[in-house]
Amino acid sequence: MVPSTARPAAGVVPLLLVLHWKHGAGSPLPITPVNATCAIRHPCHNNLMNQIRSQLAQLNGSANALFILYYTAQGEPFPNNLDKLCGPNVTDFPPFHANGTEKAKLVELYRIVVYLGTSLGNITRDQKILNPSALSLHSKLNATADILRGLLSNVLCRLCSKYHVGHVDVTYGPDTSGKDVFQKKKLGCQLLGKYKETIAVLAQAF
Amino acid sequence: MALFVVFQTTFFLTLLSLRTYQSEVLAERLPLTPVSLKVSTNSIHQSLHLQWTVHNLPYHQELKMVFQIQISRIETSNVVWVGNYSTTVKWNQVLHWSWESELPLECATHFVRIKSVIDDASFPEPNFWSNWSSWEEVSVQDYLGRGTLFVFPKDKLVEEGSNVTICYVSRNIQNNVSCYLEGKQIHGEQLDPHVTAFNLNSVPFIRNRGTNIYCEASQGNVSKGIEGIVLFVSKVLEEPKDFSCESQDFKTLHCTWDPGTDTALGWSKQPSQSYTLFESFSGEKKLCTHKNWCNWQITQDSQEMYNFTLIAENYLRKRSVNILFNLTHRVYLMNPFSVNFENVNATNAIMTWKVHSMRNNFTYLCQIELHGEGKMMQYDVSINVNGEYFLSELEPATEYMARVRCADASHFWKWTEWSGQNFTTLEAAPSEAPDVWRSVNSEPGNHTVTLFWKPLSKLHANGKILFYNVVVENLDKPSRSELRSIPAPANSTKLILDRCSYQICVTANNSVGASPASIIVISADPENKEVEEERIAGTEGGFSLSWKPQPGDVIGYVVDWCDHPQDVLQWKNVGPNTTSTVISTDAFRPGVRYDFRIYGLSTKRIACLLEKKTGYSQELAPSDNPHVLVDMLTSHSFTLSWKDYSTESQPGFIQGYHVYLKSKARQCHPRFQKAVLSDGSECCKYKIDNPEEKALIVDNLKPESFYEFFVTPFTSAGEGPNATFTKVTTPDEHSSMLIRILLPMVFCVLLIMIVCYLKSQWIKETCYPDIPDPYKSSILSLIKFKENPHLTIMNVSDCIPDAIEVVSKPEGTKIQLLGTRKSLTETELTKPNYLYLLPTEKNHSGPGPCICFENFTYNQAASDAGSCGHVPVPPKAPPSMLGLMTSPENVLKALEKNYMNSLGEVPAGETSLNYVSQLASPMSGDKDSLPTNPVEPPHCSEYKMQMAVPLRLALPPPTENSSLSSITLLDPGEHYR
Repeated sequence: MVPSTARPAAGVVPLLLVLHWKHGAGSPLPITPVNATCAIRHPCHNNLMNQIRSQLAQLNGSANALFILYYTAQGEPFPNNLDKLCGPNVTDFPPFHANGTEKAKLVELYRIVVYLGTSLGNITRDQKILNPSALSLHSKLNATADILRGLLSNVLCRLCSKYHVGHVDVTYGPDTSGKDVFQKKKLGCQLLGKYKETIAVLAQAF
Repeated sequence: MALFVVFQTTFFLTLLSLRTYQSEVLAERLPLTPVSLKVSTNSIHQSLHLQWTVHNLPYHQELKMVFQIQISRIETSNVVWVGNYSTTVKWNQVLHWSWESELPLECATHFVRIKSVIDDASFPEPNFWSNWSSWEEVSVQDYLGRGTLFVFPKDKLVEEGSNVTICYVSRNIQNNVSCYLEGKQIHGEQLDPHVTAFNLNSVPFIRNRGTNIYCEASQGNVSKGIEGIVLFVSKVLEEPKDFSCESQDFKTLHCTWDPGTDTALGWSKQPSQSYTLFESFSGEKKLCTHKNWCNWQITQDSQEMYNFTLIAENYLRKRSVNILFNLTHRVYLMNPFSVNFENVNATNAIMTWKVHSMRNNFTYLCQIELHGEGKMMQYDVSINVNGEYFLSELEPATEYMARVRCADASHFWKWTEWSGQNFTTLEAAPSEAPDVWRSVNSEPGNHTVTLFWKPLSKLHANGKILFYNVVVENLDKPSRSELRSIPAPANSTKLILDRCSYQICVTANNSVGASPASIIVISADPENKEVEEERIAGTEGGFSLSWKPQPGDVIGYVVDWCDHPQDVLQWKNVGPNTTSTVISTDAFRPGVRYDFRIYGLSTKRIACLLEKKTGYSQELAPSDNPHVLVDMLTSHSFTLSWKDYSTESQPGFIQGYHVYLKSKARQCHPRFQKAVLSDGSECCKYKIDNPEEKALIVDNLKPESFYEFFVTPFTSAGEGPNATFTKVTTPDEHSSMLIRILLPMVFCVLLIMIVCYLKSQWIKETCYPDIPDPYKSSILSLIKFKENPHLTIMNVSDCIPDAIEVVSKPEGTKIQLLGTRKSLTETELTKPNYLYLLPTEKNHSGPGPCICFENFTYNQAASDAGSCGHVPVPPKAPPSMLGLMTSPENVLKALEKNYMNSLGEVPAGETSLNYVSQLASPMSGDKDSLPTNPVEPPHCSEYKMQMAVPLRLALPPPTENSSLSSITLLDPGEHYR
């Protein structure tokens, strides 16, 4: 669940919510301070880019398995209608330009990771309620969310330490809390399809 | 008439006034028509919610009214539901009413109207229905949002087996929409061009995560999207089973039940059913936290009767069960404790236990179970607080398990759980004498008696047998007895007894005492009674034996035998009045021969062998075939024999043999019968019925013919194993005759050869003398035949022998000295090799003038080469004999050739030479002219040329260089070259 102005959703406590929780979260942040100061509590790792690449590769390696686990757990018609139900038709998904500068790519990566993190949080919450016995899927979702959190932290460190970017406008994944169960399944499937597609591009670009 | 008109006018006026009044009354009731009707929807419950008011009700007045509600779908004329709603209406009250639609509200526009009537006893006037309110339209399709396809109802919860209507709304009528339930297409009814409804009857429970139902819109083969819903189908809530309550302490009631199927669904659509306990007398209610049990606190001591209702409930259904009981009748005691055993001895013990006290003067019914030795005994006893029971008739040295359970003796409700303990009774002396038997081997001067006994059964041993006492008492010398203690678990002992009668007593002993003695007597006479062995047939159940009764008094019979393959002596005791028994044991094996001996026991306890029997529990076919030897093979017969084959050690009684014979001949020999083998081939078969007949003469055979035979024994169970046929070929008829002739001939030849060898010297002297007799030589005839009739043979006696000294050249020519067998190479090669012609007379004094010969015929190269091919003379042939010993043809050839100086060019076959002595007289050509006196040799006359010449050349007169010639006489066997 995307954090509303009141409180974050129970069970979804990604780092990005801590980082970005504020009034108005859930919609693109309107203002990017030009000279935003970087406030990092801990020094960044020396080999950040390698860590980022490694995390992207790790995510890329597990994305397809996660996608398969997900649509299998939803039952028919999902496994046999992937193109219709799980096509990467995700609105407001942050763009990525692989031919940009490192700074631009890192900023875009940051936006994407934030988007994916919130979406995965919603999916994890939904699936724990809907498919309480699909432990393998839950485990995979949690593991992916953990890596995304680490990746987000590293990207932020890199942006801040090298490019002095302290703030990035972000968008969050769609809120599924008001949707019916079929729509939740469908949106989750579309998001994971998009995630699988995007993470491959990202792993290649870095 | 006028009166009539007046009456008529009055009547009409009255009637008119009455109608006017009625109209006024109706006018007063018209405001009770329902007004302000508002209709809202609840998509989750698919319900229409109506609210309205009734105007013009009297202030603070309540009227009971009936409202009739009419609901139409799609259009007002399509009424789908009409019903009444009765309620009491207050002044200014807003009335509410809901209606649940089976069709999702999103799929159709609904219309609602309402009318009312007063149905109140306080309103005695006749009632009329009000007018209908105006139709109120309800449509939620306008709020569906973006999209072209919608499926409803969303996330609906239904019970298994119920009917559900789903529908879709397609905003594009160009799209072809197909809907599926779990992948299977469903077909519906089109409500309007945009809406189609599907009636699903008796929906099944598939999974608690819900059932996916989806619709796909397409145009041609192009999909325009998939939308769907999840239908949550709950299992039907079951009524709790086996609901009961009981108390163990009068403080708490413990209620239990079987909840049946859990109806929880995923996505939190429905949790597990809840259970509530309601007690009607006290009016108390408790929500149970466990699905199958609940504790109820007893608060009022005075309440004995309880009426419990257990209510199971989920979102769709509620179920309940009820029990009514008296608390004192539902007492479930706590388990007995402190179970102990006192005064335990060999045959009895006292069992004690305690129970938890419930109330004063409470009586308990207790049940005791005693398990031991595979048996179970049960006793019931009533107690108050402490229980005690005397257990008797127990078996000594036996472990028992005793347990107890109790219940309320006044109002039996339920036994407690068992509480138990094990105990073991003490030992007692063995109660029965051991079963003893013996085997006796008589040897010169003594008996070897082996005693066997069977271990006592647990029932009779009364404890652990520690040892056996064997007392041997000499009956002939009563003062002498011997005691042997044999530790258990031995079951035999061996005694060597002299030729006296002995009484042997055997007792089994445990820690308490000894058993009664088992007595057996060995007589002084050995068991030398010859008893013929009888064959018996056993069955799978055992052997049935019978025997003739022993004359005189017997106290019983004993049958003994040996178990195989353990070779353990077994025996069976039979009563004195029985002369037959069946020996049956699992130890009998098929194909094993068992020998039974039947003894009679006299009153003096002396065993006497009565009969012997032998047999198999089940005869088997022989396990092997005999090794057959073929003897006396002739051209017309052979003999087969298998003397070494033992008929005793077979898995059945050998009844005979089958001899199979194969031959090329189609017909069998006499005594043989045709038979077909297991492989389908035909052969001839001969049956031998006597197992001891272990040979067969197969005759009437053809010479030089191929036969195959196979001999196999047979028992009642069949033949021996299949094996390969042995091949035999009869010999030729004449070969034996040839052998009869050839053998003597060979013998004779050998005899002659031996004789010849032994008489070789004589034969040699006769046939091949070293000095041939020239007169007997064929050369003479040859020479005569040629041309020299005057040639004569010189007599040896006519020659004056000279001595020849050969002085060889230092080049190492191999010259052997005359008169010695040593070669020069073995003696002294440094001496010059010359030939010396010396007179042989003894009176010859000193070395006279020597004659030296230069031997031109001696080719150094040839000599060095040592090749036999170049040797002019065969080494063993004396040179002087060569011409005589060679064949006439060679001689003739030699005569015809011009002799060449090079010996290498002389063929080996032409090397026969005639040696012409230089001492021969100057050719007179006539033997008569030979000088009788030796010629004085010239001093140091040198022999220029010593060459082999053909006889023809040797005869001409000597040349200057060869003026002298002679025939040298050499010692037999000596030669040189």
